[in-house]
Amino acid sequence: MGCSSSLPDRSSGRLSGLNADGAGATDAKNLRVKLVLLGDSGVGKSCIVLRFVRGQFDPTSKVTVGASFLSQTIALQDSTTVKFEIWDTAGQERYAALAPLYYRGAAVAVVVYDITSPESFTKAQYWVKELQKHGSPDIVMALVGNKADLHENREVPVQDGIDYAEKNGMFFIETSAKTADNINQLFEEIAKRLPRPTTS
Amino acid sequence: MDSGSTQSLTFYDFLDRMRNPTSLDLVRSIKSFIVSFSFYVANPENDGKRVQEFLLTMESAIRDHPLWAGASEEEIDCAVEGLEKYVMTKLFSRTFASSPEDTKIDRDISEKIHLLQNFLRPEHLDIPLVLQNEASWLLAEKELQKINAFKAPREKLLCILNCCRVINNLLLNTSMTENRVLAGADDFLPVLIYANPPQLHSNLKFIQLYRRQAKLVSEVAYYFTNLVSAKSFIADLDSKSLSIDEIEFQESMQAARLASKETQIEPPPSPALDEIAALAGQMDPVPSTRMHDNITGGSNYPFMEADAGELTVGDVERLLSLYKDVVTKYASLCRAVKHLSISKTESPVPVLKENKAELKMPEGRSKNVDHSRGE
Repeated sequence: MGCSSSLPDRSSGRLSGLNADGAGATDAKNLRVKLVLLGDSGVGKSCIVLRFVRGQFDPTSKVTVGASFLSQTIALQDSTTVKFEIWDTAGQERYAALAPLYYRGAAVAVVVYDITSPESFTKAQYWVKELQKHGSPDIVMALVGNKADLHENREVPVQDGIDYAEKNGMFFIETSAKTADNINQLFEEIAKRLPRPTTS
Repeated sequence: MDSGSTQSLTFYDFLDRMRNPTSLDLVRSIKSFIVSFSFYVANPENDGKRVQEFLLTMESAIRDHPLWAGASEEEIDCAVEGLEKYVMTKLFSRTFASSPEDTKIDRDISEKIHLLQNFLRPEHLDIPLVLQNEASWLLAEKELQKINAFKAPREKLLCILNCCRVINNLLLNTSMTENRVLAGADDFLPVLIYANPPQLHSNLKFIQLYRRQAKLVSEVAYYFTNLVSAKSFIADLDSKSLSIDEIEFQESMQAARLASKETQIEPPPSPALDEIAALAGQMDPVPSTRMHDNITGGSNYPFMEADAGELTVGDVERLLSLYKDVVTKYASLCRAVKHLSISKTESPVPVLKENKAELKMPEGRSKNVDHSRGE
């Protein structure tokens, strides 16, 4: 497990109030997107997100840190902002049938595997097929090989990830939640690929 | 806005404004909307749509109303929250768990949870030992069980969020004190499944249909979805959903069914032998018709006094059938005796509760049987 250092602030374990949210307000400049995380248990899904949220942690902003729902806003160069609302899912096999409840209506799916575990790569491919069959047709998908810092134990070649992603029209990246490598790039790249509202 | 007291203040503020003569037009709309429900046959999906549309219409009416002239977004929002609460409290008996199908689903899930509570342990969901925190789990469950004390969708939803907050805090604290990697949903969902509330299905459906759609988004939607997902997991749960052997699962469910039957019919304190045999027959999937024979009658077992030398090949068939009979009876008896002792310890007499907790849940928390019944 590669993110034991990425613990959130003790004070921040609270849920935001029921009225805190801007009621789905999205305009051309400020997008709000639902992002669902899929992948085998233990591949580091939550670590990636914690690193992403913590890496840009601004103590003055009201970032909610729960254990499984996180949100983070990033600003892009074209002066637009994207607020990611990140839905974590339980990766254990016994909960696989519940996944559609979570990815329904998601604009982005991030499918994560562990580069030291071929089984998790197989599972990632299962999720991709599942999303192609039952996800929103215009969903943006990213394939992420995590734990890239453990390259000496690598069992899934980079090329396999690249090839699979290319075949399925996905964005591919290898990350390390432990060293924070490519974490921000992952989310920035996703943000760039989001379809923009046409009215602006 | 988060606390109950502020919320009830805003609710009274809403009622106050409704008493103002200038709001007569709004009051008329609200009253006629509520009355209009008695003209139609109850239909959850339709009713939900009508309420959602009405709230939207009223939101713009409030926005344009002189009584709210110059009001902030927050004030408008509070008014609509008050309206939602008012309307849904009035329509509650019609809209909550109103169809026989929903009541049946509630009952089925409730029964299943009740059976599972007889033997389900955190290990069956592979919940790590460090997260098996009895106090936190009970607190989470208590928060969730308040759900039936409220009629407004917003307040019901708040119970779900409070329950999730307790679990989240447990996970966060554990990750800090035990230096354990924060595992997100991998840890969150199993613990939530363990905190099962009464009338789960109807409560979720009610919130889904009648909570203002604009408010069932984002983080709130996420935790709501987790509970929907926990419900769905429990409804479809079989041995493959758990870390449990298929046969052990079937036997445990069977035993739990028997135990719950037994607690309902109040068995005599010390059952006589033939009662045990009858019980055994009851729980045997294919009860043998010979089961109710007089067990102690020696004439049923003619070989008891026989020597090996006296036996002939012709006796083999009868011997074998008697042997099978005896083994079947013995196995059933063993199970029956075991179940009787379970149903005794599971008896809802308060004095025995502590006892039961120790017996059944050495490491987990004690499950309160009465809670799960949810009536």
